[in-house]
Amino acid sequence: MRRLLTLSSFLLLLSIILVWWNNSRQPKPIELIPTLTGQPEYCLTCHADLPKISASHPVETFGCVTCHGGERLALNADLAHSSMRGGANPSDLSVVEASCGGTNCHSGSEADDRHHIQRVTTSIQSTYAGAIASIRFTFGAQVDLTPRYGINAVTDDETQTGITSLLAFDPLSEANPSIQKFGEECLTCHINAMPREGEDYSRQTGCSACHSVGEHTLTTAIPYTQCNTCHNRGNYDLRTMTFTKRDDHPILRIDDYYQPIGVFTKCEYTLDCIDCHTRSESMGDGDIHKDQASIEYVQCKTCHGTLDELPLTKTLTDPNDIAFTLAFLNPVIDLKLGDTILVTEKGEPLWNIRILPNGTYEMYGKATRQYFTFRPVMGTACEQNPDEQESHYCHECHAVEH
Amino acid sequence: MRPSFFHHLHPPTIPAAQARWRHTLGAGGTTVFLMLVLGVTGILEMFYYVPNPEEAALSVQVITYHVPYGGFIRNLHYWSAQLLLIVSAVHLLRVIFTAAYGHPRRFNYLLGLGLFVLAIMLDFTGYILRWDQGICWPLTTGTNLIKTIPFIGDFLFRLAVGGGDACKTALTRFYTWHLFGLTIPVVVLGIWHAFRVRRDGGIAVPPPHARTDNVRISRNELVRREVLTMFIASILLVLLSSFFPAPIAPAMIGKPSPDAETRAPWFFLWVQQMLKWGDPFIFGVLIPFGILVILAFIPYIFPKPADSDIGTWFPKSNRLAQVAATVIAVFIIILTLLNR
Amino acid sequence: MTDLSRRDFLKLLRSGFLYISGALALGGLLRFLDYEPNPAPQTEFDLGPASNFPLGSRTLLSDPPAVLLHTQSGFSALSLVCTHLGCTLEDQENGFTCPCHGSRFDAKGNVTHRPAEKPLQSLRVEVTDEGNLRLFTA
Repeated sequence: MRRLLTLSSFLLLLSIILVWWNNSRQPKPIELIPTLTGQPEYCLTCHADLPKISASHPVETFGCVTCHGGERLALNADLAHSSMRGGANPSDLSVVEASCGGTNCHSGSEADDRHHIQRVTTSIQSTYAGAIASIRFTFGAQVDLTPRYGINAVTDDETQTGITSLLAFDPLSEANPSIQKFGEECLTCHINAMPREGEDYSRQTGCSACHSVGEHTLTTAIPYTQCNTCHNRGNYDLRTMTFTKRDDHPILRIDDYYQPIGVFTKCEYTLDCIDCHTRSESMGDGDIHKDQASIEYVQCKTCHGTLDELPLTKTLTDPNDIAFTLAFLNPVIDLKLGDTILVTEKGEPLWNIRILPNGTYEMYGKATRQYFTFRPVMGTACEQNPDEQESHYCHECHAVEH
Repeated sequence: MRPSFFHHLHPPTIPAAQARWRHTLGAGGTTVFLMLVLGVTGILEMFYYVPNPEEAALSVQVITYHVPYGGFIRNLHYWSAQLLLIVSAVHLLRVIFTAAYGHPRRFNYLLGLGLFVLAIMLDFTGYILRWDQGICWPLTTGTNLIKTIPFIGDFLFRLAVGGGDACKTALTRFYTWHLFGLTIPVVVLGIWHAFRVRRDGGIAVPPPHARTDNVRISRNELVRREVLTMFIASILLVLLSSFFPAPIAPAMIGKPSPDAETRAPWFFLWVQQMLKWGDPFIFGVLIPFGILVILAFIPYIFPKPADSDIGTWFPKSNRLAQVAATVIAVFIIILTLLNR
Repeated sequence: MTDLSRRDFLKLLRSGFLYISGALALGGLLRFLDYEPNPAPQTEFDLGPASNFPLGSRTLLSDPPAVLLHTQSGFSALSLVCTHLGCTLEDQENGFTCPCHGSRFDAKGNVTHRPAEKPLQSLRVEVTDEGNLRLFTA
């Protein structure tokens, strides 16, 4: 009995030492009290090495939980991550309102230009309305190209386009197997869709589809490679309605992105998509549009003008002009009051293009920071017919062999 | 030396048969030790637990992850509570299988059964105090069961929960029930139960004239055996608490999603399995209550065990009670295993 | 080894194990109780643009309790937490009075009436790069 007691008291001591040892090898919690919430969070205990997300979202102010959700006090990875919004992507449009929304953030009013979420959810990138209508028309499920369906149902109470709502497209209720296949295979790639399984696709929906370039970053300097993640030509097959992942990462702009038989100008493939295409073209303007063509409007002439007209310009007189905000978020150009920039025919600022005293223009690449100067068409020997402004007319002369 | 409660429970000598492992299984003594552990660790948790619906789950996370040794203490509390139910059940079965409930211990048997019911209620209320997404559906179904009782259901529901939506309001009531409403009765009944053990002649063994073995052991030897049991239980608790953390889930924000935990805590899995069969009052209230009534009536309406059989394993005169207890135990175990 | 000394040895071992276990458990218990679950009180306060406090102004602040002065020599602040037992002082004509135990201080914070013994704490004030005033209580 006495020996048993001694032995068990020894084992008791050992087990207490085990508890002490267990406790001493726990990682030391790293506390962060974001100024926005004032509530401690411990995500940095494991995630101290993450790159800073962006200059506009410093972790000292926002912390992690404001955007990502999750259990801020938990030091166990499973529990800490279990209530995260949207998994790896809090900007997925199913949760974006909770993650990125709020009147001080990205779901404010149109007047203060904070209605980003409303714009995106009605945009053609989210609804895919044109393609759905076109496929249904092609396979006989509807008699015209009128858009009736989006990837998700969406309404617009103050429509400028006459389209007030779209129903949610349900491939399973379609009779035609090709349309069903289209729904299964082709609608997973759009920013309002359920992302495909796998790490490669987890950030290809919501805001991050465009704005998250590289690990844990948000930016408005979006390189063409980011657009190319989806707009990458050649990995879907319309006959079989299949999609295959593209493994080769584009490096050479012209070879890897543009169609092999096409003709392009040098500026097209040295610039990035966002150097020409505007915010409302890519992110929507708050209205539901019927297809891509109805929202894409920038052409060569937007910057170069025609033989008869110079491109439109605007002199910056208001310090609150949206151009200054955009140039602040992506500081590639030192815009000043009194500068004259180009604007589109809808009045959107081309804030990275400024008129020079000699009447030519300078331009800074938004993603590459390349510097260009260029002349207007007016006053040159250009042989264009002013009625023929689509790019392929320009490409007849302005083509680059490669 | 002045006689104390300790000396009341530990007379100078007792028959060796009363303190044999193979007779008592050490179960009754272990429940006392587990309750002491529960009391101490429970008080320690109270230093940090915030009984407020917004903060409760967060304060549990603070205890679990931030307070030094807090996770360990919470695990100790959790594992002591789970072991308490198992050890109490073993104790109850031992008492039935050795016919230890016979006169004069009939009343103490009822006290023990009451303690067992209180322990189950304490375990359930304690589980609810986590107040995270894992508890809402079991809490809702568990408390809605009370409402199905005819006539007094609504009253009992208000008594337990305080009315309203349980997932929003029950915390204050459950906290008070757990800390005071159930704990104080357990302490009172527990002391009474222990007091009655000695008053009824110590742990049940055959009466002196039927005893074959008249060896007695000293108070010191008894205490040594108790201490050894305590050490072994402590080591087991420490190991369980070090390697198997108590369950925890994300904090509740509004109603948890429908895919949150819907399984009942393990000791109610058998009831949950029956609830799949039909009427919640019959399967969720009447049958469990009926089982309790059968158990309570064993000393009173089942054939009385012979005097010489009291305190011996599986005596003939006690067959019916043994069969009834076995059937109930097997029934509960099978239902528990069926519920996946 | 005789039987008795063997018994003593076991006893010694046993009590050794138990005392060490007890000491470790007590140490753990003390550490458990020593944790501070609530964040420490704020010691830095942003008072907004310095231009809100023109030269010659004297401003009573409520959080933290202090009086902020803007004189020729710059910004300065005096804590209005009584140095006796921590009540908030009341602003009076020639200084400050404590409503709790009657301590009095002059306008510079020196004790003029007991029970307080230490003068009022002067607080550090800084103007940030953005032109905001920052007050430090520690």
